[in-house]
Amino acid sequence: MKEALNKFKSLKLVRIIGFNRVVLLGVIVLISLLFQVLSAVLNHGNQFLTYARFTSAMNYGYFIGFLALGVTFVIATGNIDFSIGPVMFTSALISGYCLNNYGFPLILSLFLCVLIGAVFGTIGGAFVAYLHLPSFITSMALMQVAKGVGSLFTKTQNVSWPNASMANGWYRYLSNYEIQTASGKVMIPMGAIILLVVAVLCAILLNKTRAGRYMICLGANREAVRLSGVDTRRWEMLAFIICGALAGFASIFYVGCYTTVQPSKGDTFNNEAIAACVMGGTSMAGGLASILGTVIGSFIVAIMQEGILAMGFTISYQYVLTGLIVLGAVIADTLSRRRKN
Amino acid sequence: MGEIILTMKGIDKSFPGVHALDRVDFEVRKGEVHALMGENGAGKSTLMKVLTGIYSKDAGTIIYEGKEVDFANPREAQQAGVVIVHQELNMMGHLTVAQNIFIGREPRKGFVIDDGAMNKEARKLFVQLGIEIDPKETMSNLTVAKQQMCEIAKAISHEAKVIIFDEPTAALTDTEIEQLFAIIRDLRSRDYGIVYISHRMDEIKLITDRVSVMRDGQYIGTLITEDCTKEDIINMMVGRVIYEEPKTHSHCPPDAPVVLKVEHLNAGKMVQDVSFELRQGEILGFAGLVGAGRTETARALFGADPKQSGDIYIDGNKVDITSPKDAVEKGISYLSEDRKRYGIVLKKSIVENSTLATLKEYTSGLFINKPEEEKVTTQYVETLQTKTPSIHQLVINLSGGNQQKVVIAKWLVNDSRIMIFDEPTRGIDVGAKQEIYELMNQLAREGKSIIMISSDMTEILRMSDRILVMCEGKKTGELDIAEATQEKIMNLATRDIDMQEGKK
Repeated sequence: MKEALNKFKSLKLVRIIGFNRVVLLGVIVLISLLFQVLSAVLNHGNQFLTYARFTSAMNYGYFIGFLALGVTFVIATGNIDFSIGPVMFTSALISGYCLNNYGFPLILSLFLCVLIGAVFGTIGGAFVAYLHLPSFITSMALMQVAKGVGSLFTKTQNVSWPNASMANGWYRYLSNYEIQTASGKVMIPMGAIILLVVAVLCAILLNKTRAGRYMICLGANREAVRLSGVDTRRWEMLAFIICGALAGFASIFYVGCYTTVQPSKGDTFNNEAIAACVMGGTSMAGGLASILGTVIGSFIVAIMQEGILAMGFTISYQYVLTGLIVLGAVIADTLSRRRKN
Repeated sequence: MGEIILTMKGIDKSFPGVHALDRVDFEVRKGEVHALMGENGAGKSTLMKVLTGIYSKDAGTIIYEGKEVDFANPREAQQAGVVIVHQELNMMGHLTVAQNIFIGREPRKGFVIDDGAMNKEARKLFVQLGIEIDPKETMSNLTVAKQQMCEIAKAISHEAKVIIFDEPTAALTDTEIEQLFAIIRDLRSRDYGIVYISHRMDEIKLITDRVSVMRDGQYIGTLITEDCTKEDIINMMVGRVIYEEPKTHSHCPPDAPVVLKVEHLNAGKMVQDVSFELRQGEILGFAGLVGAGRTETARALFGADPKQSGDIYIDGNKVDITSPKDAVEKGISYLSEDRKRYGIVLKKSIVENSTLATLKEYTSGLFINKPEEEKVTTQYVETLQTKTPSIHQLVINLSGGNQQKVVIAKWLVNDSRIMIFDEPTRGIDVGAKQEIYELMNQLAREGKSIIMISSDMTEILRMSDRILVMCEGKKTGELDIAEATQEKIMNLATRDIDMQEGKK
């Protein structure tokens, strides 16, 4: 058994992807099968594994995925960002308000989403990197600020982005593109393609560039990197800026999926994005990050959310499950570190 | 020496890429102090961690008090009576002495902790050990030596039968060491089995009955301490003889150009008005007692800590150094005494560590040039003879000496001209020490200028061309190696203290 496992671990493909990631892919398959069986039992023989379900699950996976990719950088530097969910909402609120009420062109509004996210990231990053404040409490504070700013800007009103059929509706095609065929409508998951492209860019940034190398190394030992003559503050702040910008980018896909944004909300997505990250093998202690793992982790979160709703359970079950999964992932991370020491 | 209380036989343990213990045998008798010696990375700590259940063994047997045991964790070992007094003390500074000793098993009166009984018990322990510590004192107010004695008291209160001391004297003064030895001798006379791990050869001769030596994860042999010489033990440890001789004259020509000039440097209490010059190809020793301000001077010079005032000249030109980045750009490097915290990124590979200070030069366009990076790392692994299976090995898996070589490689890749070595051989075994010395001499010959901070007098006298002595944050003197003696250095190193005490 042990030999077979070692042999499997030494396969070339497994080595490239990483054993942990292979296990995670297995988890996706298991969860899907579980829902398939549950669906047959609970929903009178309905199928769970259909294309419609897949695209519906992906809708949720896109923005969680972008949030998780961003926070991967922050966690790699040994920090944490609890403001990403509300920052995503605030970006969508302000940009959407500008689009609807001030007649901003759509393309400018989309750009504004990313910009607002980046601004929040820059502020948080500056506090953490230059004033050495703990990221935990700094990001908590910024989360409140983000919520407040968004709701002040819209005078505590919901903001609805245009529908697909309306003049400014094409942003929704970034999430899903509908094609009319002889047999009916087919959804092309554009968001999945964009997510994968961004993930590849993130992986290159993290593993092949100086910025990524410094971020990971300073996450493992900040002082040693500083004493090697590296301005660690700059790179630490960059991680937060990337994180914020991606949270802003995520908001485009959130409204692409749900259209309407409420003020003073968004905190639950923090936990799901961080869960995706930690599940994927990024260590909360810093110094270790996997972009591929984060992407797979986001898919797991998305499938769970879809499955639970499809089974007719309330969303509250999902909170419980995500909570348990984060616990499980942190336990696995901590135990593996203890073994290595 | 009494009967055998503990036998370890054929202990085997492997980590990924490292065969840490290769069928090692070891035994302890009642009423003996048994030294366990070997270079860093020889496997001493691993063996003790296997014994106390921190690691599980791959093969072999442990027989304790006549029964085969396999402790699952340190707690089980402790309950059975096998206790380690760690090098780094595991005490809670804000609790009192008695609270620390009885943590987790406080005597109670109903639901409340019975402080009176606890303090009384602790006092009894200290009387037994013949030491004076107030059980009600807060732990962090004690000296390291006293804290260590509390650990010993804690071990005894657990009814330990085997006590393992892991480099217990590393942070103690001479008088404190004497006190510790008195306690150890007392424990020996009361039939405790004691394992003593240390690098200090003189201590081994003083305190131990038998010496077991390990090398490269293997058991080499056991000697009766009385019947062997220092050289015998070193021979077994490294498999060759090493001679330590002081330098007799400076190897640096008196007309060599001044590379670095520091004038009136001030940084906090620990660096007051320090001035000195450093010549090309010179090794300038920084001598003094622990806490004399030598490390602080180096850190202020390097820009790691802020300085209040002072001018720094490189090649005669005044430079402004406010961060390590500035210093590195000016060709200065700093090799910290605390490698693991300030020198290397343990969880990263040799390659990643080697180019950490120079990554910009190994970046073409947007991307890191990995082949170039690997090429230069391989080159320095070869020239420095770093022992590693691969350049992609994580630094955490290397021994202390080899980790130090990775730090040196980092600064050589950067082509630093002025290198500050802070305690370059601390925690490094005899064999690797020799290599580091040779390397420093070679660097000086090649025209690098070296500042060497060291608390080891033999090291100072053996390596330096010139010696600067500090005391209480001030420079108290400068000696050429030809005129330097241990006595003269000690005089300067304690001068200020004497003067202050004279005033009182």
